[in-house]
Amino acid sequence: MFGLVDGNNFYVSCERAFDPTLIGKPVIVLSNNDGCAIARSAEAKALGIKMGEVWHLSRRRPEFRGVIAKSSNYALYGDMSRRVFEVLSMNFARVEPYSIDEMFVDLTAFARADYCRRVRAQVRQITKIPTCIGIGPTKTLAKLANKYAKSAADLDGVADFSVDALRRKAFDEMPVDEIWGVGRAAQAKLNGLGVFTVAQFAALPSASVRKLMTVTGQRTHAELNGVSCLPLSLAPSQRKTVSVTRAFGRPVETWVDMREALAAHASRAAEKVRQHGLEACAVQVFFHTNPHDDAPFFNAQRSFEIEPTADSLALIRHVTTAARSMWRPGLKYAKAGVILPDLVLASSAPRDLVPSGDHEKSEKLMTALDSLNARFGRGTVKPGAIRQAPPWAARANNLSPRYTTRLEDLMVVHA
Amino acid sequence: MGARAYQGDETTGFQSPAQDHVEAVPDLADLLELRRPQRYAVRVKGDGLKARGIHSGDILVVNTAAEPRTGKVCVAFHLGDVVLAVLTEKDGAWWIEPANQPAQPIADETEVWAMIAALVRTEV
Repeated sequence: MFGLVDGNNFYVSCERAFDPTLIGKPVIVLSNNDGCAIARSAEAKALGIKMGEVWHLSRRRPEFRGVIAKSSNYALYGDMSRRVFEVLSMNFARVEPYSIDEMFVDLTAFARADYCRRVRAQVRQITKIPTCIGIGPTKTLAKLANKYAKSAADLDGVADFSVDALRRKAFDEMPVDEIWGVGRAAQAKLNGLGVFTVAQFAALPSASVRKLMTVTGQRTHAELNGVSCLPLSLAPSQRKTVSVTRAFGRPVETWVDMREALAAHASRAAEKVRQHGLEACAVQVFFHTNPHDDAPFFNAQRSFEIEPTADSLALIRHVTTAARSMWRPGLKYAKAGVILPDLVLASSAPRDLVPSGDHEKSEKLMTALDSLNARFGRGTVKPGAIRQAPPWAARANNLSPRYTTRLEDLMVVHA
Repeated sequence: MGARAYQGDETTGFQSPAQDHVEAVPDLADLLELRRPQRYAVRVKGDGLKARGIHSGDILVVNTAAEPRTGKVCVAFHLGDVVLAVLTEKDGAWWIEPANQPAQPIADETEVWAMIAALVRTEV
């Protein structure tokens, strides 16, 4: 039996855990660069703020006065996600971190709704994060039960779809697009055939679902009918690509700033690659102007193969050389990125007969770099091409402290 | 010699008699159990609980899973503030006495956030 534990308005709940002035108020968390709303408190949802609402366009609307908009603080959210995972691991034999705010758990025969309610209370007490838990014989059912638990006030945050009566009642009430894996296109097709509720979808013959929504849809359909197709997976599958792309906090107009931004992206991409014990065999570099303003759009992009490496300095070299040849002055660039589309295990990376650098030396240097950054905080040591506070860095005008990971940012307690 | 720093073991002349006995310095994060999900570090501001040995600037390690106990110091959300307070139980009801404030029964706008578990003072 599967359980899905989902943090309610997770990013907002993380902010509220350390700041009592946010409790009971409409609070939203903005995406990178303070762009759109990516998490909303119940009060903010009640005001009509939509997911993805572009905040600098809507913030002046009179009904949104009094809304508190926080920049995203991923150092905090990551650590709080870890804490939720740890608490769940104290209560369940196996926990799959599916996303930063959703964890699948393995429920034994004895652990059902009441047990989950106790765990939920414990997660709340320890991490201050409110959660809902959905229970079902398949992942798709657990996920649907979780949604149902969120909307039904009388369930105390836990819905158990292994209970036939509750599942049937929910299937009749829930619209078909609430199902995990049923997107807008599938919803339109289904509605066209007169299928509006989960119950109607579950009752369709499997063959017609396959015709309508391919084999993935058929799997979703089987899972809804209690046939488990998706097992609990405890290790993420090997990464196939790494990408670091960022919109600039303000437009980049000089080569020096562009080179620095790309060097920072290349360095971060290399870090990610090393973290997974991989090496990059190819590089893709791009930068472009703002597609939404009046100036003509310019987009430069280049991909090429390289000798497999995870060395920050080597990747920075490749990226800047390519970018230099793509650079066109006199424009206002809005975004740049480095993508490593082809990754291999470092142990099995093909080695050139005559390598262009000292592989062992590079590995040692990078290990030292990573361990310093792990010990003293990200960005403690970086390649010389990157300044500490570059002018193009993303906007984060209302960033909360990193309460749980930095000694200088600890929550202040008044005495 | 590689980049490895000298740990008291690998010497260049006489072989170090300590080489099979070298240990790392104690890890205070382990001692304070900072990796446990219920442990948080917070910073004290103000000297209102000096009588309890807690000074301004101290780091307190607190435990959000600990049961409240009468006479113990806790971190609380109280009327929109984060405060250090003493908890007491009187006739089955819980009272809170924030530093520099009179004791008051715990009401809606008060939440006990964590109990104090340990104290770190870096300058003595």
